Amino acid sequence: MKEFGSFVKKEFRHIFRDKRTMLIVLIMPIVQIVLFGFAISTEINNARVDIVGDVQDPSVRRIMERIEHNDYLQVMKVYRSVEDIHARFKKGQADVAVCFERNFDERLHKQGMASVRVIGDGSDPNSAQMIVNYVVGVLNDEQNDISLKYVGENETAGMTPTIQYMYNPGVLSSYNFVPGVMGLILMLICSMMTAISIVKEKEFGTMELLLVSPVKPLWIIVSKAIPYLFLSSVNLLTILLLSRFVMDVPIRGSILLLCFVSLIFILASLSLGLLISVISSTQRTALLISGMGLTMPTMIFSGIIFPCESMPVLLQYFSDIIPAKWYIIMVKKIMIEGVGLGYIYNELLILSLMSFVLLAVSIRLFRKRL
Amino acid sequence: MENENVIEVRNLTKKFGHFTAVDHISFEVHKGEIFGFLGANGAGKTTAMKILCGLSRPTSGEGKVNGYDINREQEKIKRNIGYMSQRFSLYPDLKVWENIRLFGGIYGLSSSTIRAKSEAMLRYLQMENLRNELVGRLPLGWKQKLAFSIALIHEPSIVFLDEPTGGVDPETRRMFWEMIYATAEQGTTIFVTTHYMDEAEYCDRVSIMVDGVIADLDSPAALKQRYHATDMDSVFRQLAVKAQRKE
Amino acid sequence: MTLVYLLEKEFKQFFRDPGLPKMAIAFPVLMMLVFPFAVSMEIRNINLVVVDSDRSTVSQRLIETCTSSGYFNLVDVCDDPVYAMQLMDMNKADAILTIESDFDEQVERGDGAAMGIKVNTINGTKGSIGSAYLGNCIRRFYTDYKQADMGTIAPVIDVSAKYYYNQYMDYKVFMVPALIVIAITMLTGFLPALNIVSEKETGTIEQINVTPVKRSIFILCKLIPYWLVAFFVLAACLVIARLVFGYSCAGSLTLLFLFTAFHIMVTAGLGLLISNYSDNAQQAMFVTWFFMMIFMLVSGIFTPISSMPEWAKAITYLNPMRYYADAMRCIYLKGSSSLDVWYDAVGLLSIGTVMVTWAVLSYKKTV
Repeated sequence: MKEFGSFVKKEFRHIFRDKRTMLIVLIMPIVQIVLFGFAISTEINNARVDIVGDVQDPSVRRIMERIEHNDYLQVMKVYRSVEDIHARFKKGQADVAVCFERNFDERLHKQGMASVRVIGDGSDPNSAQMIVNYVVGVLNDEQNDISLKYVGENETAGMTPTIQYMYNPGVLSSYNFVPGVMGLILMLICSMMTAISIVKEKEFGTMELLLVSPVKPLWIIVSKAIPYLFLSSVNLLTILLLSRFVMDVPIRGSILLLCFVSLIFILASLSLGLLISVISSTQRTALLISGMGLTMPTMIFSGIIFPCESMPVLLQYFSDIIPAKWYIIMVKKIMIEGVGLGYIYNELLILSLMSFVLLAVSIRLFRKRL
Repeated sequence: MENENVIEVRNLTKKFGHFTAVDHISFEVHKGEIFGFLGANGAGKTTAMKILCGLSRPTSGEGKVNGYDINREQEKIKRNIGYMSQRFSLYPDLKVWENIRLFGGIYGLSSSTIRAKSEAMLRYLQMENLRNELVGRLPLGWKQKLAFSIALIHEPSIVFLDEPTGGVDPETRRMFWEMIYATAEQGTTIFVTTHYMDEAEYCDRVSIMVDGVIADLDSPAALKQRYHATDMDSVFRQLAVKAQRKE
Repeated sequence: MTLVYLLEKEFKQFFRDPGLPKMAIAFPVLMMLVFPFAVSMEIRNINLVVVDSDRSTVSQRLIETCTSSGYFNLVDVCDDPVYAMQLMDMNKADAILTIESDFDEQVERGDGAAMGIKVNTINGTKGSIGSAYLGNCIRRFYTDYKQADMGTIAPVIDVSAKYYYNQYMDYKVFMVPALIVIAITMLTGFLPALNIVSEKETGTIEQINVTPVKRSIFILCKLIPYWLVAFFVLAACLVIARLVFGYSCAGSLTLLFLFTAFHIMVTAGLGLLISNYSDNAQQAMFVTWFFMMIFMLVSGIFTPISSMPEWAKAITYLNPMRYYADAMRCIYLKGSSSLDVWYDAVGLLSIGTVMVTWAVLSYKKTV
């Protein structure tokens, strides 16, 4: 045990001597969580609407005013030719064009039907669909008003349900993205830090020195992980403080539970880093695998931006092996829904199992490659 | 002609923060001599040498290498010197001939010159059948000899050797010094730092640095006489014992 | 002439590395094959729980109107609001519709009905879209009900939606140019960042510094290989997009390559710059990763720039990926011409010039 203690001390010394790296590791998450927490949002603000049709037409005019009054939409330009839409889209000057057929008002009231076509810029299907939905919503409102008037009802006395936004009454994007960004940052920083720990000793040839010591491989690996565990905990703390006090994301559940879950996640990330370190032959490979190879899958498959439910089944299974996915689900539940252990034991079990397997595999491989 | 100076240094000083690595040193190196630059680890030899090579800027003091100012004309100095550092610094992932070709090219030699020089060099080093070997796979002694030859590829007038024989077996060290002698005989000035006191005996003149200053400078014979010593090791120990700095 | 020898060295080192060439191929290929399937934000299958205290034919019709809209997936119809809330806590329900007990009479009377919608807004977009869909369904139900009552039909606005450039709303095609952008940016950012710093770590840079090589030549030789890497990756990705997904570029291929060339000045320039300032590979990696994440997440690739707060929008003007991604998407998907995206070129070239110049200046042969 005494040797183990001195090993841990040695690792701490290694890390704390390199002040610049430490500074980078500690400051990076602060900037990222603040920037991403505020900037990442899928909300549509002021989508740019072009009106194609005759503004003299009373019905067109009414609908146009309705669009103007919608909080999410703004009318950019009015013109008469559908041909012009392409030019506007190509220059990125409009997101959607609403095209009214000729003599819209007359057709609507005399023939009982008039057509309007909503044209979205499908080059960004996600935004386009949302924007088109907003526009269609406005048109539906108009339709309802017309219908109700027709049957003699008061326009306003429709069915307006009271809407309650649960958990996030202000509908802030940060509630959704901050837990996601937490998962992403912790995962990457932890694994990138540890990824080079063992491979570095291999490269410098100091590994032999460690191996001839009486300390067992298990403890060599553990001693490498401990200082990083410490640094990651500091990171976790700063991230939590920032999300609570700067991003205003509430911590409704138990802080203790949140910290426990986070520690399990950090452990999983550190183990993943160690695994990378064991299987890589050079620092460069280890760094590229962790930095480049982990970033993309974690970002795409953990449900931070793209909901896992919208993925094809096969990829949903793939997303199940991303530790960050489970962590993010738990963080959302604990921080925002404020639920207790009873609601997350499933995810917690999976994540713990992952950490255990990753650590076991890296120790096994480490032994084998001696 | 005999005493023409290729290096002249006056009050050369290099500070890193509060730490004065090199403290007002002054000396000359004559053309064609083998100049030994001795000192314990951390005495400031490498720092001083890096300034002379144009790798580092002095904090104060002036000097000339090959007639070029060490403060202003570093790039000109670089054209006429060769350098081999204590850390082996050829490209390990390039083959022997590729390293020769690269450095030949960098110094602006034509490809026919490079080809002729590589052949001669490989023959001289008896490495003809190793030309396609990756440099990283060569034994250390071979690497050092190759690095020395490559440092001479553009026929510099001075070559700086920073602990060239560190970690090399005695036999290779002996061969290495034969190469140094051969080079010096052709009129190239050799500026060499070393740990090995027996190597100091091979130098024409030796300077001994202690704590950033030159404690003494003379020919080995004169130094031995001055300190009543039978070998350079004893001279060195008498001077280095005054050192305050730890390694 | 020195240039040729140094370039020769860079290429040999690149191809001789045990990992780099493989990674330069595998990374973009895997990304192109897997990731396009995973990037839909389409909101469907919103899990709906109805708390129906009315249990009348009228409330039944309302529920049918909701489920037949295609947006909702009816999880349960129950009487107990507490149970419904539990389902939401367990993430089994995204929205709860509460129907009061005298719903049918209220509808009949026509003076509005008390109804409640609860939506989970942790994911704000999903929540607000869900509640908008539900509100729409309810209004449609009501007007349909009333019209059926009266036996008359009001004038109809016939609404149809159409999407240019992506008729069938294929999400994959949208991500193809974005993934190309990400693959190229990452490769040509990370590799050069590790390049100079590894020469520092092995000590070979000192041997170069003691030669009369010009700084600009040295940096240029480090840059050029990444141009080729990027062109290769771009070509490979375009071929994969064509063969696997059947997509082709709507605009000029030359323009795609041109913008890529501009972009490499930025990424590789930045990589080398970071490399110059770093003491070891780990530092270089962290800092590069830091910038890559920022470039990626505030570039408009994943989430629209228009959704960002003003200060974040201002930051995007310094983000090279904003220009590159915009240009690549416009050219690939919409066939925009150089006149349509000239401002992207200006943005990239200005940042690129700064990066490369800075990289050259920060590379110090003498310290």
